[in-house]
Formats: sequence, structure tokens, C-alpha cells
Amino acid sequence: MAPADTHAVTPPVGPAPKSARQRRSMKTAKSVIIADKVADWTIRIGGLGVIAAVFGIMLFLTVVVVPLFAGAGIEGSTVSEKAVAGGPALMDIVDEYKTVAVSVDETGQVHAIHIKSGVALEVAPVDLGLADGGKTLTAFARTPSGRDIAYGFSDGTLRLAAVKVGGAVINTADVPGDLKRLSDTDFTDGKSIYTGVSADQTRRVSIEVVLGSAQQVAPAGTAVVAADYRIAGEAERPTISFVTVDAEGVGRLSRSESKTNMLTGAVTTTLTSAELPGLPKGVKVRSVLMNNNGTQVYVFEAGGTVYRYNSLDFEKPELAETNSLLPSGVTIGAASFLIGEQSLVIAGSDGSVNVFFRLQDPATKNPDGYVLRRAHTLEAHKAAVVAMDMSQRGKMFVTADANGEVWLRHSTSEQVLLKLMPPAGQKPQYHAVTFAPRENGVLAVADDGKIYTWDVSAPHPETTLKTLFGKVWYEGYAEPTYTWQSSAATNAFEPKFSLVPLIFGTLKATLYSLLFAIPIALGAAIYTSEFVHHRVRAVVKPTMELMASLPSVVLGFIAALILAPIVETWIAAIFFAFLVIPLGLFFSAFLWQLLPGPIALRYGGLPKFLLIFISLLIFGYAAFLLAPAFEYVFFAGDLKAWANGAVGSSVPFTALLALPFVFMAVYFGGDNLVTQYLGHVLRGEDRTRAGLMELSRWGATLIISSVISYAIASVLVGLGLDPRGGVVDTYVQRNTLVVGFAMGFAVIPIIYTISEDALNTVPEHLRAASLACGATSWQTAVSVIVPTAMSGIFSAIMIGMGRAVGETMIVVMAAGNTPVMEWNIFNGLRALSANIAVELPEAVRDSTLYRMLFFAALTLFVITFVVNTFAEMVRQRFRKRTAQL
Amino acid sequence: MSAMTETLEASAETVPMSRARARRTDMRSRGEPALWSLGGALAIGILMILGFLVLVLSNGIATFVPKPLRVVTQTDGKVTAGEPFRSEVFKPVPQDVAQLSPEWQEKIKAANGYVDRTLYRLGNFDIYGEDFRWVPEFLVAKVEQPKNLLFIERSEWGPFIGTVKTFKVDGVDQAFSGLDDAKFTQVHEQSRERAQAIRKVERSDIGKVNRALDDGRLALRKIELKDGKDSAAYRAADTRFAAQNVELQRQYQALTEQVQKLREANAKNTLTLVEVGGREKTIDFSGLVRAYAANDLSLGQKIGVYFSRWAEFLVDEPREANTEGGVFPAIFGTAAMTLLMVLVVAPFGVITALYLREYAQQGRLVSFVRISVNNLAGVPSIVYGVFGLGFFAYVVGGSIDSVFFPERLPNPTFGTGGLLWSALTLALLTVPVVIVATEEALAAVPRSMREGSLACGASKWQTIKYIVLPRAMPGVMTGIILAMARGAGEVAPLMLVGVVKLAPQLPVDGTFPFVHLERSFMHLGFHIFDVGFQSRNAEAGKPMVFVTTVLLIALVAIVNATAIVVRSRLKKRFAGSQF
Repeated sequence: MAPADTHAVTPPVGPAPKSARQRRSMKTAKSVIIADKVADWTIRIGGLGVIAAVFGIMLFLTVVVVPLFAGAGIEGSTVSEKAVAGGPALMDIVDEYKTVAVSVDETGQVHAIHIKSGVALEVAPVDLGLADGGKTLTAFARTPSGRDIAYGFSDGTLRLAAVKVGGAVINTADVPGDLKRLSDTDFTDGKSIYTGVSADQTRRVSIEVVLGSAQQVAPAGTAVVAADYRIAGEAERPTISFVTVDAEGVGRLSRSESKTNMLTGAVTTTLTSAELPGLPKGVKVRSVLMNNNGTQVYVFEAGGTVYRYNSLDFEKPELAETNSLLPSGVTIGAASFLIGEQSLVIAGSDGSVNVFFRLQDPATKNPDGYVLRRAHTLEAHKAAVVAMDMSQRGKMFVTADANGEVWLRHSTSEQVLLKLMPPAGQKPQYHAVTFAPRENGVLAVADDGKIYTWDVSAPHPETTLKTLFGKVWYEGYAEPTYTWQSSAATNAFEPKFSLVPLIFGTLKATLYSLLFAIPIALGAAIYTSEFVHHRVRAVVKPTMELMASLPSVVLGFIAALILAPIVETWIAAIFFAFLVIPLGLFFSAFLWQLLPGPIALRYGGLPKFLLIFISLLIFGYAAFLLAPAFEYVFFAGDLKAWANGAVGSSVPFTALLALPFVFMAVYFGGDNLVTQYLGHVLRGEDRTRAGLMELSRWGATLIISSVISYAIASVLVGLGLDPRGGVVDTYVQRNTLVVGFAMGFAVIPIIYTISEDALNTVPEHLRAASLACGATSWQTAVSVIVPTAMSGIFSAIMIGMGRAVGETMIVVMAAGNTPVMEWNIFNGLRALSANIAVELPEAVRDSTLYRMLFFAALTLFVITFVVNTFAEMVRQRFRKRTAQL
Repeated sequence: MSAMTETLEASAETVPMSRARARRTDMRSRGEPALWSLGGALAIGILMILGFLVLVLSNGIATFVPKPLRVVTQTDGKVTAGEPFRSEVFKPVPQDVAQLSPEWQEKIKAANGYVDRTLYRLGNFDIYGEDFRWVPEFLVAKVEQPKNLLFIERSEWGPFIGTVKTFKVDGVDQAFSGLDDAKFTQVHEQSRERAQAIRKVERSDIGKVNRALDDGRLALRKIELKDGKDSAAYRAADTRFAAQNVELQRQYQALTEQVQKLREANAKNTLTLVEVGGREKTIDFSGLVRAYAANDLSLGQKIGVYFSRWAEFLVDEPREANTEGGVFPAIFGTAAMTLLMVLVVAPFGVITALYLREYAQQGRLVSFVRISVNNLAGVPSIVYGVFGLGFFAYVVGGSIDSVFFPERLPNPTFGTGGLLWSALTLALLTVPVVIVATEEALAAVPRSMREGSLACGASKWQTIKYIVLPRAMPGVMTGIILAMARGAGEVAPLMLVGVVKLAPQLPVDGTFPFVHLERSFMHLGFHIFDVGFQSRNAEAGKPMVFVTTVLLIALVAIVNATAIVVRSRLKKRFAGSQF
């Protein structure tokens, strides 16, 4: 500090020395150079930084979106050489943490293995009573989780069992001392696996099989050949349902319900049984499936024929459908439900994998009105499919084929996410494959007892470009649809992400609001620029621009809570106003023409505009007064009922829609025919009489075109073209009409300002030249000014469109937010922007929904960016051109 | 131009008929009908904006005017007392019409089946369970405006419409003579003061104790994360914390007792109200916000009520799920967020514009960047909100949390929406506005001035600082203020990055570090959305929404107007120095 102070006596380096006598220092002061350098770097870095940040938005959105389409990845794979003892596996499962694999062999014994190290764990042998040779294991069933299994025997008995894969968390202090290390985190005492979770907590995983008592389900001595088994109800009083088919081909459905007596605590179990009717004698049943509440039973014959039973009435199941799901000569390789047990996946010995839905079909003769239909055909394996397992969380499943390949698939999106290959040179023959409960691993047991595992990650299996933009056949839907339904109550109902309804909603809102805004904005712009005094313009233009500064949340509030009820009450009057106001203005204009020339000239400025204003109010009020009559004539007295299609005919309304076009045609068509003659006559008359003739001519044109459009409408409606069900349909309070009107407030000022500027920058000499040649201001405007400014006007419309596409609060509040896809102006919509605003606050970070919403944002970004850039380029060309004029 | 045609035509009119015949313009070439429809379009546009402003202003300004109360006795004996809220015509169902007297049936038939009805705001929600009731015209037997009927605003359950039966002071019954009764006003004031005191203790004193407790726990957790649970440091901190905890608990106890005492004192002063049907309701004096005899107010009293309501609206906190009370936190939040946004957007916008205009090599790339920046102003605001949530809150905020606030995890500190992220998001949204405005202003500074400065030996930065920027200042300021106006009116992105329905604490307060950038806040625009769309009864919230709307529009208008004034004043200041 101190030395700096002493140097402070050097003359200050200012802009210029005050006295000329003082010796000028020709060297630039250091501080100036430093300041210059610092400013230079700050501005360069800051400027580039801001530009990079702004462009970083797009990059960041893309980075978040990309994983949606990334499919699945393999994070690691192992082959445990140490085999599971015993024969080929009937089933295998893994626990939630992928620590232990459990496999059941053909003798019914349960084996467990620590996956990472391949060390086998001791599991107490299951005493099935097979040792004396009196019976053999002939059937095996499992619940979807694999935690509950059933054994069927050759003597016609069935034994239920539970495989308990314990995942208890215990205090580290209670862990036994001498443990064998298996991996970094896992230890074993031979029976259980101990994994440290935190400093004082340890997870213990151990396997235990609890065997139930034997139940006679088929005549003694008749083997059970196929069975399936489900547990439903609460844990305390479960309802156990099982279905069995015996060697004679007789199927039986049984249900046992346990009730605990509240007083004594005794458990009473009631068993109800019913025989499945209608199975052909001697049918070779391959397997049998039932759904969770036991209301549907599927019996599969090896050749691919399925017998579907409706067992809604448990005591009287009926054969609802017999259907051959595979081509002849192909046998079933594996069959399973997907989660929710609505869809059936059938894999054939030809490698094909198909998903079937049970759908309601009015045309079917099946007694329950449902029919199995093939909904998805997935990519086929090159060899026969031998095993399959479904996810317990979503619509993914794995299939294993005879070549030793395991494919990870997703049913709805029809994609194969991963093809898991065996290590080179090996061709394992899998008997069972399993998909880890958290969808993060696949495990397959080969017949030599080797265990193949893969760690996989498939965070967004349901999204492909096809599911986002194409029709997707969702479970329970009669046909492929575009659906957006992002939240699901349970895992069994898949969320449906189709962007099409949202993009449609955005386009619908944009289209209707532009239909309203463009005529008003352009009309107002042309009138302001060409036909009013510049002092009026100085007041009018800022007033219109004031509209742009209204916060959109205010517009949305007014639209939804004030406007929507008013529009609902006065809908007929509002429709009528669309007809009456233009006609009324025309009529007033013709009346104006009756005025003698000098008067018309003198009051041609502001007074005329005020008159226009007043006639607008008058005709608006007239529309309000005459609305009931209008509603009576056009909409059978009740517009809403009419729009539903409940009452009335649509001819008058169709005629109304056709009227503007027919009027134009008649007007200009008639023009060519009579102008020659009429023009001659008119020139000879004085202004008032000429005006009268013009008025009557207009009236005649209107009447003629009304008659013609009515005729056209009758023909069109006769041909079956009805606007109802299309642009008009059931009335909803928050609808597109309201949105269009409110959005007008946001869009009109933009289109108005930019196009007015464009009209104004048309060089004055063009205007002067045109007027000097004797053109009227109207002719000048229409044939000189507007064509010259066309590109500017076009870019104004594009920019207005960009605003309408991205507008959020108005659509959130006033559009009702139902993702429907119809053009009905009386119904609401769900726009991309509104959807983001509504759903993103609830979306879990990095979930599919979260990324989907980012995708929606990216879509909006790209749409508006492209539209605006295009408009900007057009505008710059326009500027260049006018500068050259 | 139009003036020119007029003179031409005027002369055409005056020339003799015979010559005029050839020169007269065909009437249709004037395009009168088309002209009228263009004019009509302009008229519709003006009508839209004026109608909108009139609708909002009239509703917003009239909301706080004390309205008369009516007691309507219906023909079926039902009595309704309330504020007439609005009237409309409706179509009664035929069964109802059939039961009416012949005159009424005739009348309704004459009006095409329509008849008037009036919506009454009832108050007394705790007794009736409804806020509003429609009374059709044909059911009205008698309408009165009793002078003694009171409109009583309460801090809970909304307003009460009825009369005061008795009131108790310190548990002793008093006779009620009128609202201006000295004892009544005195007790009311006392109770309100006590209620204020309770609120203060609960808010600030107990809040302070809670915060100290929380800080201690977090400090302990921090040491645990750093040194582990078995370390000496942790054990020392743990004992320290335990001791501190005991002391804080004692303080807490004392404060609760203090509050309890005040509560008990207040509970002795009660007020028994009775509604028109005779049902009674006893409330604490402290729960009485304002009472007035709606049908017996002098003009002065009316004005008094009107302005006291405005004052309450502007400085108080919201009550009853935001549908009553004030919006002070929302005003404060809006202002804080906008100011913070300007602090970010102004320097960066100006620097970028300087770079683009003064430093970057002008060429295809720069003009491409310029067009793109221009277009970014047209990218929907919600997209910025999505970016703000994903990048600022989750990525940046998440990293800040894991580095600086690990002890609070998994509760996010910066890793969720908040004031800072909102301001940054809106800064990104509005930076194109500032860039474009500044660039235009810089471009308008004559080249000769720059050259003159450089020729005199000034460095580039000196030229910019002393010559260019001052001249461009009007444009820069306009850009910044327009950015403020845009930012203050935006709601959609804020819904994603930090605005909440009800923020317990203001983002700026007396506790260190005074400005809490991580806190979520309230916003006027979101307030409108929330009260209008997510409250129990949208109808009851509507007046409040209108007032908030007026406030928001006024705010945006004031900011915009400031832009115009600033621009013209600065322009004048530099007008003399132009070459």
C-alpha cells in the first residue's frame, strides 16, 4: 500500500491535459492499456459466453432427450462355471439385489448360488416324497414372481410351496463371526449371504422353501400334466387359485380361501373346485395359464391351439374361445402373460414371438364377447424359442432361443432392446431364463447347470420414434391409437407417450387463433397504414400495441373464468355476430355511398372511422338481439343440442359456411357479365343514384348466393358431408373458440405491428406515383402497397404463428387440457406447452416422462426457431428489396 | 396521400357534367365496402383492448367498494342475506316454471323462457357450507336492506353477514350498542394487538429458536460427514449440541408459555354473532378483521373501508388459501425476482451487444448469430422454464448441494426451484431483448464520433466508455426496462423453477445471509393462476384475482411507461451533443 501512495504524485492520466504548457506524455498510460485489455477480454469472453449459453439451451435439451432412444445397454456379464447341481432347470429367479440365483431342477429340488462368485449356498432339501419311487414330478407351476410354486405329481396330487428369498436387514453386530468372503461386499456362512448396507446395517439373504401339504386334484393315479397357480387377496387371508390338467385331458379349476376366525384364531380353508368343460378327448396339453384373480384360464395344446375359459363364475367356467395362434406345424416354445395378465406372449418353435390381446369384439360369436387378437408381431429368433420371462414392472420380457441367444424385448414398442449372446464358441441350451425384478439383469441357466448372467440397463424401453409419432397398439385398446396418458396408477397400466395428440392440440389452437387473428390484424394494419391520418395513427398504433404487454396469465384467467361462461350462454349470438358484423359493415358502406360526394369527402377521415365504430357496435347489438331467431332458424332452437347431432339438420349451417365462397364466386363472376353494361350506366348517374344501384346489386348478389349456397349445402349434406362431428361437435365450456379469442390478444398486436411497419416502409414515391396516375387510395393499397409489402406481411404472420405455438398460460387455463384429436371448435385441446407446464413439476428427474417433456420442449424450440428464422430471412429480403425500390 | 386523392376527386366533382362523365371514377374503384371491413377490423381490435381494460379495471377497482347487503325473503319462506354478486338471465327447468303463478309463467314465456336471477354472496361458510346462492327472480317475495345488518370480515371462515348479539370483555357480558361503541373498539384493538404479538412471537422468536436447533443439527451432521461418527470432534460437537439443545428447548418452552398466556387473554374477549336465520356463532375478538354496517355507511365511511381494504391488500399476508387478505409476499417476490433478473441481464446483455457490434468481425457468422439471437426472443418461455429446471436447478443446483450442503441432503437446498434459478431463467429469456435493443442503439451512434474519438488518441475502451455507451444509453435503458416488463409478466417458466402457492418466508429477511437465493417465492402472476384455478371456490376467489390482475397490469404498465419516459429524457439530454 505505502509505495503506491508515494507514487500517486505522477500526473493523472486523463483524457487530455488541462494546460497546453504541461509537457505531453506521448506514451499511453499503463492504466489505459490495462483497462483496454481488461475490457477487451471481458467483452469478448462475456459476449461469446452469453451466445454459447443461449445456444447451450438446445444442446442441453438434446442431451436430456437422447437417452430416450438409446435402447438398452449391457453393463457386464458373467458366466459362472460352477454349475448348479441337478438336472435341467424348471425355473430360475434372482432376488431384487441380484445377489442370489435360485433354480428349481427337474426333480423339484431348489438350488441357490451367489451370482458374482458362483459359490453355491446350502438349501435344505425339499422332501417331495419321491424317494420311494411311488410317484414322479410331472408338472410344475409358478406365480409370476416365482416366489410361489406348485408341484404336480403322477399320482394326481398337487403340492404348493413357497420359495422364501429373505432379504432381511439386521444389525451388523448380530452378524456371525467366521464368514467366507465372496466378493468386495458379500460374505457367507454357507447358508446365507451377508452384505453390508451401511456402517451398522447388514442385509442377509437366505433361501428357504416352505412346502405345503399334498392336495388330491385329479383322480388317484392320474398324473397332473400341467398346472398354474396364483395367489390373490390380502397376505393374511389369501385366495389361492390353481388350475390343473391331468393325463386324461381333464382340466380342473380350484380355489381355496382361508379365513381366520377372529375369536379363536383358527384358520378354516374352503376349497371349491370345478371341471373345465369342453376340452377335446386326448388333447395333448402343453401348459396352462390363469390370470391373477382366476377369471381367465388358458389351456395350450402343443400345436398352438389355445382353449380360453371364462371363469368369472368360478364354479361354472365356460369355454369362451378356441383359437389357433400359431401356423400349423409350429409348436409353442414358450407362453406367458405380460404384467397385468392382459396380454399373452406366444413364442413358437419357429422363433416367432407374438403378443395377443384379449379384446372386446361385437362381431364375435364367443359367449363372453371377447376374442384373442394378435396385436404385436415382434422380430423373430433364428431358432426355436425355448424359454421366456416377463418383467414384474413393465412390458419388457426376455426370450431365449435354441442357439443360446437371449433377447430383451419390449412388447408395446415392438423393439428388441438387446441381443445377449453367449460367449464365443459356446452354445448353451437354456431351460429357464429370468429377468431380474428391477429390470436390471438377465439370468439364464443352461442344461449343463452353468449360469449365464448379464447386467443390463434399459431405462426407457417404451419409447422409439415410432411410438412417439406413430400409432401404437396399447394393451386393452381395440386398435392402434395416438394416445397421451402419462400417468398410470399401477405398473400394470403402461403410460402412453404419443406426442401426436399434443402436437395436434398445438396446431389446432394455432390454426383457430390465426383464423381469428389474421383478418383482424391485417385489416387493421392496412387501414392504419393507408386510410387514416397520421395523427390518428399515432394514437391507434400504441393502443393496439398495448395489447401485447398484457401478461398471458391475465388473458388466460379472463378467458377461462369470465369469457368461457359468457360464450357458453351467448354462443348463438357470437356465431351470429360472425355473420352479421361483416354483412352489416358492407351494408353501412353501401349506405355511405349514397351520401353526396362533397359530404362523403368532408367526413371521409376520422368521422368515417367513428361511424364504422358505431355501426360495428350497432350490428354487434343486433346480433345479440336477433340471436334467438338465428338459433331457431339455423340450429333448431338449441345450438348445443344441434352440435351434438341431437336435433335439427345441418344444411343451413353448411350453407352458412359455403356462403362466403359462393358470394365471392357470384360477385366476381357476375362482375364480368354485367360490369360492361352497368359501368356504362353508372357513369351517367349521379352519386346517390349510382350508390342505390350498387346497393341493390349487392343485395341481389347476396340473395342469389344465399340460394345457391343453400342448394350446394343440401347436395353436400345429402352426400353425407356433415360439419357436425367435424368442425362442430359436443360443446365443452373450455373450448377452442375461447382459446382462439384469448390468443387473439396475444397474436393480433404482433401481426399488426410488424405488418403495419412493413406497409409503412413501402417507399412513398410508389404511393405517389400510383395516386398521380389516377388510382384511388383503395386501388393503390390493393395493387401497389400490399403486393410490395407482401413478404413483410408474410413474415408478420409467421412470427405471430410462432407466438401462438408457444403460448402457455392461455392454453393451460382456457383449453381444458384433454388430449383429444378432433377439429371440433367446441372442444378443448392439450397443447405441447400446456402439457409441459402441467406435468413437469410432478415428473421424477430422469424418468421417461421427464425426458418426454424435455422432448416436447425441444420440439417447441425447433418449431418456433425454424419458423422465426424463416420469417426473419423473408423479412430481410423484403427490406433489401424495398431499399432498392 | 389520401389528402391528395381527396383534392383530385373534389375538383372532379365541380367540373361540368359533360366533361366529368369521362373522368368520373367508377364508384367501385373506391372499394368502399372493403374499406369498411378493414376499418371494422381496426375497430374490433381497439374494442378488444379497450373492452379488456375496462372489464379488468372496473372489476378490480370496484372489488373493495363496500356493497349493500340485501335480505331476500323467498316465496317459499327461505331467507337469504348477502351481497348481490352478479345477475344473469337463465332458462329455468320446465317443472319449476309449471309450479309458478300464471303471471310469472306468462312473463317467462314472453321472454323466450328466460328469467333473471341474482347470485348472492352469503358469507357464513361455517354455518351454511356454501359461499354463494342463486335466487331466481320469480322466487323473490320481499327484498330489504336493513340498516343494522353487518358485514363482518373474519380472519377465518371468510366473512360473516349478520348482527352482533353480545360481546364479552374478560368474560363479562357487555351490551352491544353499535360498532362505534368505545368499549367495543377498544377491546377490538387490544385483541388485535395481542394477536399481532402472538404472530410475532410465533414467527420470529420461535422461528429463531427452531432455526438455531436446525443449524445445530446440520452442523453436527456436517462434522459427522467429514470426520465420521467415531471421531473426537464429533463427540465434542455432540455434547455441545446437546447442551445447546437443552437451552433452546427451555427458550422454546418459555415462548410457548408466553403465547399461551396471550391466547388465554384473547379467549376471554369474545363476540357472539347472529345470522338472519337466528343461528349464532361466537368468535374471538382477535378473529375480527373489520366490521361495517353495509347499508348504513356515509360516503366518508365507505371511502374509509375502501382504502383500508386496499391497504390490507397491499401490505398484509394472504389468508384463507390466498383468497383473502393481502398479496404482500407476492408483490415482494415479483419485485425481488425482477430486480435480481435485471442485475444479471443488464451487464450480460450489454456486453454481448458490445461484442457483436464493436468487437466481433462483421461477417456471415456474426449476422447468423444476430438473427439467431433475435429469434431466441420468439422461443416459447416454457422452453426456458424446462431448461431452467433441468440445468440450473437439477444440474447446477444439485452440484452446489453435494459440494456445499451435503449435510442437508437428501433435502435439496439449491437443487430445486428457487429465487436465483427463476431470475437466471428469466434472464436467459429476456437477454435477447436487451441485446437487440442495445445493438440497435450502438448502431445508431454515428461512425464519425467513434473515429473522432479514436483519432484523438483514445483507446477503444475509452471510446466505448465515454463516447459510444453514453449516446446509446437511451436504447440500452429501454431494452432493459422492456426486459423487466416481459420478465414481470411471465408465469409459465416460473411454475417450473421456483414459484409456489404459499411461501412461508420472504426471500429477503433479517437472518444471515439476508438474501436467501435458494428460497422459493410467491409471484403475482402465479397468484392469479393459483387463486383463479386451484382454490376451493373459483367464484369466491374471482374478486381477489381481479384486484391482483389490476395490480399486475399496473406494474407492467408502469414499467413500460418508465421505459418511454426514460428514453425520451435521455434522448433530450444527449440531443445537444449530436453532430
